[in-house]
Amino acid sequence: MASLIKTHYKLAKTAIKENRTRSFLTCLGIAIGVASIILILSLMGSVSNLIKKEISAIGSDLIVVRPSTTKDTVTSIVEELTASSSFQKSNLALSDTATISEIEGVSAVAPIALSTNTISSDKNTLPAVTVMGTTLDYSKIEPLAMKHGAFLTEANAENGVVLGHMLSLELFNTINSTVGKTVTIMGEKFMVIGVLDETDQSINFDNVDFDNAAIVNIVTLDQITDSTQIQQINVKAENTDSLARISTEIREKLIEKKHGDQNFTVAYGDAITHPAGSLFNIISGMLALVAGISLVVGGIGVMNIMLVSVAERTHEIGIRKAVGASSRNILMQFLFEALILSVLGGIFGLVLGYIFAFLISIITPFAPYISLEIIAITFLTAIVVGIIFGIYPALKAASKNPIDSLKHYR
Amino acid sequence: MEQKVSENIIIELKGLTKKYGYGDTESFALKDFDLTIKRGEFIMIMGPSGCGKTTLLNIIGLLDRATYGDYNLNGENVAGISASRQAKLRAKKIGFIFQNFNLIEDLSILENVALPLVYTGRSKTSRLKSASTALKRFHLQEKEYYLPYQLSGGQQQRVAIARAIVSNPEIILADEPTGNLDSRASKAVMEELSAIHKEGNTIIMVTHNPALTVYATRVINMLDGAIDTDIKTVSDANLPQPVSVKIVKKLPEPKEPKKRKKRKNSRRKK
Repeated sequence: MASLIKTHYKLAKTAIKENRTRSFLTCLGIAIGVASIILILSLMGSVSNLIKKEISAIGSDLIVVRPSTTKDTVTSIVEELTASSSFQKSNLALSDTATISEIEGVSAVAPIALSTNTISSDKNTLPAVTVMGTTLDYSKIEPLAMKHGAFLTEANAENGVVLGHMLSLELFNTINSTVGKTVTIMGEKFMVIGVLDETDQSINFDNVDFDNAAIVNIVTLDQITDSTQIQQINVKAENTDSLARISTEIREKLIEKKHGDQNFTVAYGDAITHPAGSLFNIISGMLALVAGISLVVGGIGVMNIMLVSVAERTHEIGIRKAVGASSRNILMQFLFEALILSVLGGIFGLVLGYIFAFLISIITPFAPYISLEIIAITFLTAIVVGIIFGIYPALKAASKNPIDSLKHYR
Repeated sequence: MEQKVSENIIIELKGLTKKYGYGDTESFALKDFDLTIKRGEFIMIMGPSGCGKTTLLNIIGLLDRATYGDYNLNGENVAGISASRQAKLRAKKIGFIFQNFNLIEDLSILENVALPLVYTGRSKTSRLKSASTALKRFHLQEKEYYLPYQLSGGQQQRVAIARAIVSNPEIILADEPTGNLDSRASKAVMEELSAIHKEGNTIIMVTHNPALTVYATRVINMLDGAIDTDIKTVSDANLPQPVSVKIVKKLPEPKEPKKRKKRKNSRRKK
């Protein structure tokens, strides 16, 4: 049996070598599909790596509460995609913050509410700017580096605003002398009390692009807009040992308060990395779908070329059967050929995908993410595609009648 | 003596019928065909086109099945066996020689000859060794790494004969082996077949050429799927037998060519 497998492998190799161009083009089809999957996996991996890095910088004593709306159904995903704002409806309320802060061992609680508003200064008016509402505790949990001025304090909590680096530039065409100036959000005047340093981290666990955001007090934000949705509540524990206890307690207290509503998640440690509630998951899901489709198209290419190969070699099949090959032998011969084609395509795609990932890393912060899992997935998909699309041509070859095949002369 | 000869029966066909089509289109390629073939016979089957010669050869060669009837090969009833068992028997017991040689063009001469051994599960080295020995017999050893198209028709047919005998089959089936050859190559091929026959091999050959019947020990004329005439030119007792069988008969000096060792074993089983 082992020697037969070796023979099948050798035969397939010769057959592929003999039709170099054809085999290469077939491999290319698979390679493109595999490359796009690699690219997506690499991007997703590098995104969660970025967030992991950020969390380890903040400290490991962080607990995050996120609303988890009924996002698993297709309709809600479509709803979310078609909604005018990119923020989801939340079942977390401002009062939850108080509930959490009562728990023993919690040192700071900061909710994050997001809304999209028009901001105007005396120079420019910017539509659709992310306005983040939070509490003063926020800087205790995650101190943001300031370029000028200060973060929200008790003194200016009501009508102060902290601007992102890019936002400041766009509103006032400068970042240097903006502190003390006024901006208008929803008709309400706010004084700029600080400008953030450039973060260059559009992907983070808060799901806020701080370079382009304005930060105000959550109470004020709630008053001027009636659509504030709390996206996340960040909780800082006094020490890391009690993380598990605190998160269970948060969960229990919130369920009790919400009369059994369990549509939220409490996460700490590595579980935080998944940026729930962002478009990111949906977009990467869509991309994966497209990649999957291209892989299927590649697989159809393999099937097509195998069918051609079987037809071309009908006579050979006849000879082989006449000298003693069983249908199974013939099946294996052609299945091996399809498998080798798709695995070659897989290897090719792996390389191609990482070349793309590397090119993307030049212009974005997403470094190529290489892991054993990704490589394993690649080979597994290649093998599965090879078998799925190779089995039909191979069966066709195996079922050929030796007498008719021998008559089939080229 | 009588018993010895009856033991020598290698193929027994009884009431073999091959039917094509149904109802009005029904036609018979073979009709109630009976035939007994003994070891060492060189049978030539002749007859007009469409008389069922090739169908008979295909059924004997286990490439085809009779619609009904019995087929005993070496005492085993093979009429109703599975396709995979058929393939196994083809690999071990039957050697095919075709009119158009039927060599695989992408494989070297050596690999072509070794092809039947691939499906018996032997290792590559042992396969190529056997193939090389077989080729040597036909003085084609120096062409081992040629591709089929680089050889003349006569040479290609000799490669095909080497392929047919490489696994030491029980029977060799030849379907007009000289049909595509000129008279000189044709004679060379027939001499080779005759030499193989004299070593005790059983050969069944379909031909259109009456001149070739001089090589045969039995000539069967077929007509409309049945035997028309059946003439034996050599008595059963005088049929050439494999060396091992002769030894049992005469008990002379124990001289055995190495090549035919495997045959001996299969003979003794009987």
